[in-house]
Amino acid sequence: MLMNLVKAEFRKTTTTGLWWGIMIPTVLIALGWALGTGAIGKSIMDVVNSSDAENLTELLGIDSSQWQVSVFGMARSINIATVFPMIFGGLAISNEISRRTITTTFLTAPNRVAALTAKLLVYVAWGAIFGLAIVAAVSIGIVFTSDSAALPDAAGWIAMAGVGILSSILMTMFGVGVGALMTSPIATTIVLILYMLILENGIQLVLAAQGVPSIIGFLPNGAVNGLTGSVAANLFLSTAGVVPDELNEVIRGIAGALGAFDWWLSGLIFLVWTAVFFLGGWAATQRKDIT
Amino acid sequence: MHDGSGRIVVQGLTKQFGPVTAVQNLSFTVEPGSVTGFLGPNGAGKTTTLRMLLGLVTPTAGSSFINGRPFHQLGNPARVVGAVLEAQGFHPKRTARNHLRVYAAAIGVPDQAADHVLDLVGLGAAAGRKAGGFSLGMKQRLALATALLGDPQVLVLDEPANGLDPEGIAWLRTFLQSYARAGRTVLISSHLLAEIEQTVDQVVIVSRGQTMYYGSLDQLRGSQRSRVLVQPSDAGALVAALQAEGVTGIEQVPDGRLAVSGMDAKQVADAALKAGVSVYGIQEERVDLEQLFFQLTNGQYTAAGPNPFAGPQGQIPQGPPGPQQSGYYAAPTPSGQFPQQGYPPQQYQQPQFPPPDYQQQQYQQQFQQPPQDNQQQQPPPGYQQPGQGGYGGGN
Repeated sequence: MLMNLVKAEFRKTTTTGLWWGIMIPTVLIALGWALGTGAIGKSIMDVVNSSDAENLTELLGIDSSQWQVSVFGMARSINIATVFPMIFGGLAISNEISRRTITTTFLTAPNRVAALTAKLLVYVAWGAIFGLAIVAAVSIGIVFTSDSAALPDAAGWIAMAGVGILSSILMTMFGVGVGALMTSPIATTIVLILYMLILENGIQLVLAAQGVPSIIGFLPNGAVNGLTGSVAANLFLSTAGVVPDELNEVIRGIAGALGAFDWWLSGLIFLVWTAVFFLGGWAATQRKDIT
Repeated sequence: MHDGSGRIVVQGLTKQFGPVTAVQNLSFTVEPGSVTGFLGPNGAGKTTTLRMLLGLVTPTAGSSFINGRPFHQLGNPARVVGAVLEAQGFHPKRTARNHLRVYAAAIGVPDQAADHVLDLVGLGAAAGRKAGGFSLGMKQRLALATALLGDPQVLVLDEPANGLDPEGIAWLRTFLQSYARAGRTVLISSHLLAEIEQTVDQVVIVSRGQTMYYGSLDQLRGSQRSRVLVQPSDAGALVAALQAEGVTGIEQVPDGRLAVSGMDAKQVADAALKAGVSVYGIQEERVDLEQLFFQLTNGQYTAAGPNPFAGPQGQIPQGPPGPQQSGYYAAPTPSGQFPQQGYPPQQYQQPQFPPPDYQQQQYQQQFQQPPQDNQQQQPPPGYQQPGQGGYGGGN
């Protein structure tokens, strides 16, 4: 029974152009950011590894030739690109409500719990699909513009890919919840983009300026960025050799994980955010009078 | 899980949207094997009632059952009940066939069912077109196709004739009648009696969220006989004379005239002459079905019922306040009362016709009251008036 509904929900997503309409910019952004950050990392490393700077790094006791700077670009690119699966998720329920297809959806399901569970499963799958596409695009982009020495090893890559897919799934579910609460596709899209790309960045700047960056790790965007950024920072630090403690914060900032906690704690915090919005949206949809 | 009877039972449904009471204590039963019309003016609560029946709207009070079960206990509901609620429930970019395949998957019927129902509703040629480009009539057909996907026993349609051309309406009529003839249940709502008059066998007429009439359309037609409005010099004498001739269908209308049914104007005038009563005015009133429907739904006669707009219920002299205590009203516990198949009208007629002497008593009681009281306290005769029998139905 539930598999029938999952099949129906999956067909819903594949019989309109929305999924590839969002997949194209997702891949392009992921690829573009990976190319760009890879190039930036390479140019920085070219300066750092130049003979002029070599004296300085030697003086500090750092061997910069093994720095895997590409992981920062990967983390940043993944963070930006996962905005798209979040919007895809945001449209899952809001589009059904605004298109009034929710009526038939509920009429053909034994109950709303089953219908929404099917949606949950399908959008987890879509989050993973988008995550895979993002990781693939980012990997291709970063390989093109980074020095091979700056690339993570296989284990590092798997770690980055894992948190990339995980953050894509969580972002999708976060979107589903917000969309179910807002019920308007346009409002959902605007609110999600404004908050994730602009509003919270502003809040983070204020918090950092006020000297309380640790609060950032509790905010939705800060938490989800911490998921990928912390892994990137850890990867970098584990292979960079001796790095002064003062530089740790700078490195986390570069990775987009300023103020964020460990990757698993960041993931848990964002999971809580996702659960709050998803369950809130679920409860609203469960009780909603479909008139 | 469900009893397979195809019966729809609505019991005391009430829905309040904030301060607005959309449906108030609505009860009726829909039997299989017939097309039942669900009639009422716009805003009467029809759509809300159907959506409560289908589990889309949570009622404030009351319950509804399809095949003896609430919607959410039907298991795979689309195999039991198909619904056409609006012609808008389509993603504009999804083709008709894909739309149906989505829900075919949900219901668990093979994908070929999509093409089958498209052919059934005459949209076979448009299967590959996107629903956004459909005309309203085509969308109605696609909505019907969606409802038919699960080959349901019960079909519920909310204003399905909207947007259909005359040809489409004729087609829909034939389709629904054949569907019902196969022993299935069809409930179709409309705000126009004329629109579905030729389609339905039974009607439930609602107004302001309450049941005004519930029974067979033939019976409603049967009650549309003419009556004579007469203004005599001595009403008591004329009533006595008419009663002596065996006429029982006499009522006083609010303007003080007598309404006599079962006689034509000439016979009433002759009776008056014989009794030595002057006739100041006489008029034959013909009520057609549409007029009857209008009277039932425009609120004029609803004043007698427990209508929130018609003043406190305590002022109603007869009958207990409560649900629609209509002469036509059938108790919402019909399981033992109604046959599974077919429809003998007597079952419904029984509560409608009080014995003649009862009617007489009613009349006298009513007649002896001063006319101004009649206006103030005595509600006008209405279908939902318990005990009074209602005009045209009381003899």
